[in-house]
Amino acid sequence: MRFILSVLAIALLSALAALYLPWWSCAAVCFLVSLFLEQGGGRAFMMGFLGVGLLWLIAAMLHDTANAHILSTRMAALFKLPGYKSFMAVTVLIGGLVGGLASWSGALLRPRLNS
Amino acid sequence: MRKFFGYLLLFLTTVLVYILDHPLGALPAIGRLVDPINGCWANAEPVKENFSGDFKFPVLKGVATVWFDNRLVPHIHANDEQDLYFLEGYIHAKFRLWQMDMETRAAAGRVSEVAGEKALKFDIKQRYKGMGFAAENSLKAMESDPRTRRMMDAYTAGVNAYISSLKYRDYPFEYKLMGFAPEPWTNMKISLLLKYMADDLTGSTNDIAYTYLRDILPKSELELLYPDRIEGATPVVPSGTAFDKPSLTVPVAPPDSVAFPHFIPADFGERREDGKGSNNWVLSGAKTASGAAILCDDPHLGLNLPSLWYEVQLQGPGTNVYGASLPGAPGIIIGFNDSVSWGVTNNYRDVKDFYLIKEVADNKNKYWFAGKQLDYTKRVEVIRVKGKPDVTDTVNYTLHGPVTYAAQNSAGGGLRKPLAMCWMGHRATNEMLAIYNLNKARNYNEFVDAILNFQCPAQNFAFADRMGNIAIWGQGQFVNKWKDQGKYVMNGSDSATLWGDLIPMRENPHAVNPAQGYLCSANQVTTDSTYPYNYNGAGWVNIRAWRINQALSGMQKATVKDMMDLQQDTYSLLASKVLPYMLELDGADLKGDYVAAMKKWDYRLTADSKAASAFQLWWTNFSSDIWKDKLKGVPNYFMPLQEQTMQLLLQDRLPMYGVDETQSRHDYFADKVDKSYTRALDSLFVMEQKGGADWFNVKNTTVAHLTKLPALSYDHLKIGGWGNTVNAAKGEHGPSWRMVVQMGKEIEAYGVYPGGQSGNPGSPYYGSFVEDWAAGKYYRLLFLPNANKQNDTAIKYTWRVQP
Repeated sequence: MRFILSVLAIALLSALAALYLPWWSCAAVCFLVSLFLEQGGGRAFMMGFLGVGLLWLIAAMLHDTANAHILSTRMAALFKLPGYKSFMAVTVLIGGLVGGLASWSGALLRPRLNS
Repeated sequence: MRKFFGYLLLFLTTVLVYILDHPLGALPAIGRLVDPINGCWANAEPVKENFSGDFKFPVLKGVATVWFDNRLVPHIHANDEQDLYFLEGYIHAKFRLWQMDMETRAAAGRVSEVAGEKALKFDIKQRYKGMGFAAENSLKAMESDPRTRRMMDAYTAGVNAYISSLKYRDYPFEYKLMGFAPEPWTNMKISLLLKYMADDLTGSTNDIAYTYLRDILPKSELELLYPDRIEGATPVVPSGTAFDKPSLTVPVAPPDSVAFPHFIPADFGERREDGKGSNNWVLSGAKTASGAAILCDDPHLGLNLPSLWYEVQLQGPGTNVYGASLPGAPGIIIGFNDSVSWGVTNNYRDVKDFYLIKEVADNKNKYWFAGKQLDYTKRVEVIRVKGKPDVTDTVNYTLHGPVTYAAQNSAGGGLRKPLAMCWMGHRATNEMLAIYNLNKARNYNEFVDAILNFQCPAQNFAFADRMGNIAIWGQGQFVNKWKDQGKYVMNGSDSATLWGDLIPMRENPHAVNPAQGYLCSANQVTTDSTYPYNYNGAGWVNIRAWRINQALSGMQKATVKDMMDLQQDTYSLLASKVLPYMLELDGADLKGDYVAAMKKWDYRLTADSKAASAFQLWWTNFSSDIWKDKLKGVPNYFMPLQEQTMQLLLQDRLPMYGVDETQSRHDYFADKVDKSYTRALDSLFVMEQKGGADWFNVKNTTVAHLTKLPALSYDHLKIGGWGNTVNAAKGEHGPSWRMVVQMGKEIEAYGVYPGGQSGNPGSPYYGSFVEDWAAGKYYRLLFLPNANKQNDTAIKYTWRVQP
């Protein structure tokens, strides 16, 4: 439950940050959220990956559906990808990877109160 | 250990973010680009986007309204003229900002600043042509006339109002792709854009090629191959039109030895693009079914996305005009208002001459002129290059103009000798005033007054009004030249070669309401030989003019549909004359499916014709074989005109080169026909493997995005025609705007261009007209009455604009 909530929190906070800050502000969000949560590295990575990935997937899908895939099809052709879905997958992967790594490093650098 | 991994991971994350936030080689900053909130996804325009809205611009003087029709053409209504141009600027920017930016950068030689070192050669070339110098001169003229000053100031303010409203997420897609940001618009950019067009249309450097030919061919042969006027020419101003007595005395040519220097073949290194063409014609009411005059125009230019053109209707006090506007400049360039209509083709009278500069030995600051040493005026050009240090270069200006071809100019081209360029485009001309007045013209006299300000690029202006008048003007600012002045590179150190007086523009060739009932231009020579002033051309062709004259002279009770059919005409006069001859020359030896197809062929270069492909490939090889032995080193574009080759072939007057003495004339040409056909067949077989030998597939008409990225372009369009047909859809050039206007009681206008109203590749309006254009369809243009309120059902969105 806490995991799902953190994922949603990351998505929400990243969305807010994106309105005012550069695209990589999502990395800062993931890092900070992980600093405050006690969890293992693998979990932290998944949390960041899913949080940012989810946000980017939803945002891209909202644009893409309304746009009837015009832009994503062109972008896929531009990067020699097989179709618009693959361009969307690349988008989500990039966001997820940045979020995951940032979140993981946050978890590792979290100060340990017990030790 | 854990901390160590933590810091390592944080470092790696930072590196990853850094890489994704910076361009990698030719790739844009991927992270920024794919960011679905602010990156390229933000340019994915909803297909059901509602363009309606309320706007507030404190700078406006009154309320205004913009109606967008179902093709997203804006119809702007303002009660104040400056408000009108402000809104035109705002709307151009909203839909076409990036192209405006790039085209003006291209004009100024500032592409490297955003595209990097690969554009440096191009930029240097632009600087050496004196594009900035030209634009500065015209800007002064345009800003010193209060009418054009107000018009441009308002337009620029409109563009800037849009630019200043943008955040990164709103930037046009290409800014994100190329990684730069819009900069403020200026009146100078308008001037640069107009010079970009002037350069595009008068930019050819034929003088240099002619100079070469003059030195390798005997005089008689030069005249045979490159006549000033092709035999049987049908000039823009019909033969027999009486010209007024010239007000200036036509000068006498100085001796050749004074006027022209000589060169050796090693002095040349020029390559140039293919010429551009256009058609326009007007029919008087006597020749139309409705009894109203009809005007047609299709300027052939580079086919690009976003299109050079943008449709708009402008309504203001005393103005109600519709047509093709040029994003980056106010007003409408080609179109009609509620009284008159006009259309242009390129005139091609030579207004760009070259002078050989005699440098002063041991003094890089001086050159010889009329026995004296003169100082160059130096213009320092600083070119900013993305990711590299600035490049600084100095261009020397002589009294003729900039030394365009100089030893240090690595951009190459032309003679490898210092050549100065004297170009009408360098002068302080004010074409904007012509456009301003043309848009408001109410009759023929006002039309003439307006175009008297159109100095460069020279254009053939066709005119038709609602009173039934038709006219055509070979319009531009020309110099009173001696015979052949500027046809070849001239001696720049003698005063006898200087440009003389300007010909009063009212004495430019024109015809009004001729007995034949129609007028047409298609880049042919302007007049017959009775025109009193000397002039020479820089790219005249006649093949389309013959065909159009042939069609129009026989036409009675013409309808709008007939006009569209003529614009779409793919009948090749060239093929109809030369193909039977070629087939006959060596008929017995030519066999196979393609020969059979060509024998049955109706000479139409239709999209799916294989005979058309066979003929075009065969003719290209054959005509090049005819000349290549003699004109070795002359680029293909400067071989004799195909219609001249055609006439000499049919009259059996072609010279024979590199001939074996035992060969008869017949055998000599039969051999060329044979060999060129074999090569054509090879090409056809290759094409059959690569998607088919249908004509459209062979010629590959492409509407390319300005970046040339295939993902943003449309290629292999299913369209017929070629340069030798009225429908001149070539590889990258073609009818860039087709317009047919019937000037009746109610104006009935049709048009189409290969593009779309939005410049955004993520918009459904980006290439929405391309397929219809290729298929030969037209849209009925919505010409709304000049009023505050409209209720036409074609109106889809409305902007309410307030001060």
